[in-house]
Amino acid sequence: MAQTILVLTLMLIGAFLMALAGLGILRMPDTFLRMSATAKAGTLGAGLILLGAAVYFNEFAIYTRAAAIIVFLLITAPVAAHMIGRAAYFDGVPLWKGTIQDDLHGHYRRSTHTLESGEVPAQDQVEALSESDDFPEEE
Amino acid sequence: MSLFLLNLLLAIAWGALTGKFEPLNLLFGFLLAFAILWVGFRGRSQENYFTRVPRVVELALYFAVDIFKANLRLAGIILSPRMNLRPAVVAVPLEVRTEAGLILLMNLITLTPGTLSLDVSSDRRVLFVHTVYLEDPQQFISSVKEGYERRVMRIVEP
Amino acid sequence: MIEIFWNIILGMISLGLIAAFIRLVRGPYLPDRVIALDLISVLAMGFIIVYAVRFNQPNFLDVAIILALITFLGTVAFAYYLERRS
Repeated sequence: MAQTILVLTLMLIGAFLMALAGLGILRMPDTFLRMSATAKAGTLGAGLILLGAAVYFNEFAIYTRAAAIIVFLLITAPVAAHMIGRAAYFDGVPLWKGTIQDDLHGHYRRSTHTLESGEVPAQDQVEALSESDDFPEEE
Repeated sequence: MSLFLLNLLLAIAWGALTGKFEPLNLLFGFLLAFAILWVGFRGRSQENYFTRVPRVVELALYFAVDIFKANLRLAGIILSPRMNLRPAVVAVPLEVRTEAGLILLMNLITLTPGTLSLDVSSDRRVLFVHTVYLEDPQQFISSVKEGYERRVMRIVEP
Repeated sequence: MIEIFWNIILGMISLGLIAAFIRLVRGPYLPDRVIALDLISVLAMGFIIVYAVRFNQPNFLDVAIILALITFLGTVAFAYYLERRS
């Protein structure tokens, strides 16, 4: 009985975090905020649900499998978020108008795809798009 | 590193001897092996394995508490009808130099709800962090540096 | 009694899935869609695991592992494409 309660609690919290990630991605006003909401709420939720499953089955093989997936998620999720974040900024996705500070502005060099700690000359900076270029026309 | 492997090996041996490969039993075996290695190798090894393990545990605990607090705050923001956002991209000057430390720091920042490490400058001097709610840039920078960077450096670059 | 809790859990994950799907359709930028797709597969993974526990089928957990592995590769490929297309 205690085990069932533990399993249900872990899974309820995990599912709540997942629902939160979904609502976050729907309600947040710009790409980077959406990423903030999903990258971890999703990961932590998945981790908790996996932990719940491991407790439920209570077998050594499943504990190791759950541990392997959790470690894998913890390593890959931030890497994926970092790659998309960088690509999105580079691609010109604008920040929300309510953003109060953007230290990244003017630090990406467009010609070499590098990020510099100093200011980059204006003609080589990455510019934010004004509107969606989601499906660019074929040239 | 070799002490860590030895410690793991001893923990597995403990599991084999007691015949129970259960997580709690293996954890107990690990702690037991750690204590034995501490008695045997204390002061004699040039590695600082024995100070490092408690620091890793301390970082893990600090991270768990931070995740819990940040999750509550993010939940409050997402669920409130008027989302109270003050997003910002902040440049945090870095002291970590090794690749391992940098990766660990970036992953920890990204995994904390509400903050996201976007990129590191090519010369590895500045880390750009996106945050959902910025009160004061100076305070945010020092919280990242004091909270995570110092702990990471103590583990990776003692 | 316990059945209710399972339904609540699956319902919450479904809510997340629907919200992520709306974001996938609405965009407006390509990175938004990539994030939504990423979230959808993580949520699907959670759904499969809950299902495996509810119907006592540990074999389903392997599906979740494969999903976790493939999602990461897909996301990285998208990010690579996004950065190089300009």
